[in-house]
Amino acid sequence: MTNLAHNLQTRFLGQRQIHFNANVFLREKITRSWLLVIWLFALTLVTIAVTRNQLVANPITTIIVLVLWVVSVVWTVFNEVTRTHTSITWWLRNNLLNSITNIQLTLVLILLLIAFFRGFFSYAVVRATFSTDPDVVAADQAEMEEAGVEPGANWGAVIDNFDNLMVFRFPRDEIWRVWAVLAMVAALAGPSTIIYSRPAFRRSPVRRIMTVLWLLSPLVALFLLRGFGLFENLLPVLNPDVAWGGLLLTLIIAIFGIVASFPLGVLLALGRRSQIYGIPAWLTYTLTILLAGYFLVTSTPDNLEAARSLTEQILAFWPLLIVLIGFLFQRYFNGNVVALFSTIYIESWRGVPFITVLFMSIILFPIFLPPGVEILGTYRVLAATALFAAAYLAENVRGGLQSLPKGQFEAADSLGLSTYKKYRLIVMPQALRVVIPAIVGQFIGLFKDTSLVAIVGLTELLGVANLIAAQPDWLGVRREPYLFIALIYFLGSAVMAGYSRRLEARLGVGER
Amino acid sequence: MSETTPEMPSGGQEAVPPWRDIRVLGVVAQIAFVVAAVWAFAWIINNVLDNLDTLGGNQFLCRDGSTSYRCAFDFLRLDAQFDITETSIAYDPSDSYARALLVGLLNTIKVTVLGVILATILGTIAGIARLSSNWLVSTIAKWYVDIMRNTPLLLQLFFLYFAVILAFPPINEAIQPFGLPIYLSQRGINLPSLVFMPSSAVWAAFAVLALVQAQVLWILLGRREERTGKPINRIRWTLLSLIVVAMIGWFVASAQFQTQAVLVPQSLGVREYDDLETVMQRRLAVDNLADVEEAVANGGLTQEEVDEAAYQICVLRDDPAETNLTSQLQRQNIPYVVQRSSRQDQATEAYSQGSCELYTAEKATLASERSALPDPTLNRMITVPERPVRVSVPRIEGLNFVGGAKLSPNFAALLIGLVLYTGAFIAEIVRAGIQSVAKGQSEAARALGLTESQRLRLVVLPQALRVIIPPMTSQYLNLAKNSSLAIAVGYDDLWRISFTTLNQSGRAIQVFLIVMGSYLALSLTISFFLNWYNKRIALVER
Repeated sequence: MTNLAHNLQTRFLGQRQIHFNANVFLREKITRSWLLVIWLFALTLVTIAVTRNQLVANPITTIIVLVLWVVSVVWTVFNEVTRTHTSITWWLRNNLLNSITNIQLTLVLILLLIAFFRGFFSYAVVRATFSTDPDVVAADQAEMEEAGVEPGANWGAVIDNFDNLMVFRFPRDEIWRVWAVLAMVAALAGPSTIIYSRPAFRRSPVRRIMTVLWLLSPLVALFLLRGFGLFENLLPVLNPDVAWGGLLLTLIIAIFGIVASFPLGVLLALGRRSQIYGIPAWLTYTLTILLAGYFLVTSTPDNLEAARSLTEQILAFWPLLIVLIGFLFQRYFNGNVVALFSTIYIESWRGVPFITVLFMSIILFPIFLPPGVEILGTYRVLAATALFAAAYLAENVRGGLQSLPKGQFEAADSLGLSTYKKYRLIVMPQALRVVIPAIVGQFIGLFKDTSLVAIVGLTELLGVANLIAAQPDWLGVRREPYLFIALIYFLGSAVMAGYSRRLEARLGVGER
Repeated sequence: MSETTPEMPSGGQEAVPPWRDIRVLGVVAQIAFVVAAVWAFAWIINNVLDNLDTLGGNQFLCRDGSTSYRCAFDFLRLDAQFDITETSIAYDPSDSYARALLVGLLNTIKVTVLGVILATILGTIAGIARLSSNWLVSTIAKWYVDIMRNTPLLLQLFFLYFAVILAFPPINEAIQPFGLPIYLSQRGINLPSLVFMPSSAVWAAFAVLALVQAQVLWILLGRREERTGKPINRIRWTLLSLIVVAMIGWFVASAQFQTQAVLVPQSLGVREYDDLETVMQRRLAVDNLADVEEAVANGGLTQEEVDEAAYQICVLRDDPAETNLTSQLQRQNIPYVVQRSSRQDQATEAYSQGSCELYTAEKATLASERSALPDPTLNRMITVPERPVRVSVPRIEGLNFVGGAKLSPNFAALLIGLVLYTGAFIAEIVRAGIQSVAKGQSEAARALGLTESQRLRLVVLPQALRVIIPPMTSQYLNLAKNSSLAIAVGYDDLWRISFTTLNQSGRAIQVFLIVMGSYLALSLTISFFLNWYNKRIALVER
């Protein structure tokens, strides 16, 4: 008996020794606390249930996975107790099989992931139809249903509507304008990667020219996409409400939102932090008390007389509010009107949902304009987006301003710079550089939020996807367009997020 | 060598002319600013007034038919005349606009509160999973976070609503995940729910008592710990005492407060609750009702015979008495059929006409309803055993779900969408918070000999929470604001009802004022509470 054990040991272990103490293992890994015991028991039950389930659903893959799992666990455990890890088992030991919980979780998750991807692959490829002819699709699907298979994705709807998803109703004869804008952006972006990264260009006029070109590019793009009356033959004027749609509109709104909100956002941030000398308290109090007194005499008695309820009686004393506002204004803003206005603006936009702002631009905005003046829905939405984005941008910029050490301001003052120069040369470059990642993050948010304009009736990406389900050819086809545009949004956001991360890394260690 | 004192610059001594004095300039500029703002505001008001003439004069219609600006909000008292499918308070189309808006506000609060709780739980789990030592777990969590954060919420909601929930099978093929009593169907999601019986008030009183004494015990044990220096497992003893008192309350409430009863005809031969079982055994001619199902399968009994023998129960719709009775009948395998009436007197009517043999309700109600019967003496009132809380499990009866809680497709889509979306953001916050606690802190705690739970509770969590709470506040605010996307999936939240009100009454300005005010108030409330909590947590630091 001992001989056999010895033989086995030399055969499998060679010079290696087993470092394993069952008691210690049991005490530390299982019976450490009764909660752990219950958890492991429950997890084991789940593992067994999932494995059995998957064995029934697709036996071959599950058996392969099980065998691989058992082999890797045995191999890892063996190498662990003999302290002879290879690089693979070391990785497995650290990342997949580092505790009893993780050993089981790994199996369960691999099985579930395989089941999920099999299901998705079957839906999106195996059972899918790719024809753009609705009759062919219907025939294919009927065939599948006859064979007892549920039809999968109907990608023809997306392929058929690809142009619509991109530009929707932009006149196809004029589509070169969109290409021209893209070409312009590409022409600017190509050299920019070199010009803005090489130190040789730091103070060169080339870089200045590039910046000016970038600043002009939105105007040129607008010029191309809308057209002006000047060159009626070459660039007919398009009605944005009709012509802009799909991904084009999504990008227009997002880019316009962030670009147009920039100046206002920066001003608001500066305004909210401004330390200028406020209106003195005596002036505020005198003015408010005089005003309140005037209205108390002229308006309150009439209102009291006409009041129909206690609430209205109380409301009749509204002039007292003026004094209260004056007091709060002095108490919290030291009489600084600019800070008061900026704070109210920022907080009230940030306090309400974007969707109500959009509806406001559609419903309420026309009421605010003089009768007879009409502004297109697209422009109203663009304006609302910019005003809304400005409030969020202001908070980001304020964060950047706050991160600047006081010494920077004091140094600028002691150099005798004027306020304008102080901000232009010292403060803003540093503050904005700090918040570039935050602004990119906000841009991603805005890019996603443009989808809300679909609710107020503009047909951007999501709006087009909704319309596909209403086409007679593709009635009720929703999943596929949604998945497709989700991919567009995902790629767009992920690319920007990756860029932001790179930027953050560069700015963090960079030239400062 | 003559010493010359250098001439000191005399700046500051000279009087600055007022047109260069920064204070004067500032004040003048600000007054100009105010004037400009007031002028712009007046311009807008003027335009609004001009436009109102074209919009129609009924904007400021008073109840007495006159027109005055004072009556701008009088339209709130008019009949709303539209129906709301999901209400948490009683609402009828003949109620006022104000009531309809209140229903909407409550619905918004409902979805926000539930969403905040569930998103916090999901986000915490996902955030911890992101840091898991299991590579698969952390990778899956990362993909979840990335996908949710990089696609628009509205798209997710549309997808959930149109492509997932509305694509669920019809009611008779409802999906039951893992065999749990949860049904996924085109009608939405049906879950088991808790039904609170009248005696739950007694139990709640005990529960409050238990909480108070647990708090006291917690403090006392803490003092003792400080005095003696011996560690006491405070959590265990406090929890134990909490559970003991709560259990005492449970037994007292179930033993002493029997408010539920059932009315049976004398002819049925039922004298007390347990007789219901014996009568049924006699009817079906079996010794054990658990065998009935088997007998039906074997052919010893037909389903028709069982249905024939089943008790017919009359009850008021949504009366907790139904859950109280049927949950016990189900446990005893007694077959029954429930007839629900929408008014109490209709139920009594049905019972007196003999369309059912059992009539269950609260004792007091039954006593008065019995006196309304043609011959009260022929009916016996039997007490039904009561527990403070009963679990109501949804069941499919015909083409409807009965019992349990029902999440409509709209609500389910909105809630799940908000929770999944916000959960991803919270996961990142939680991860960042946990990672922000320096490793040395944990190592120091271990070196001091703290247990794992003490390390988490006393060292890691307080420091992580300081980082987590401020961004969490803005996520909660975002969730509250994002709940306005309900309009996309047809859930009757504040904004959707306001929009209907606006379209119907035409009072655009007033409705927008109300909506904006409500959302601002909601946002301010949330940030007020979290700022307060944040301050409390910040006090932990030195």
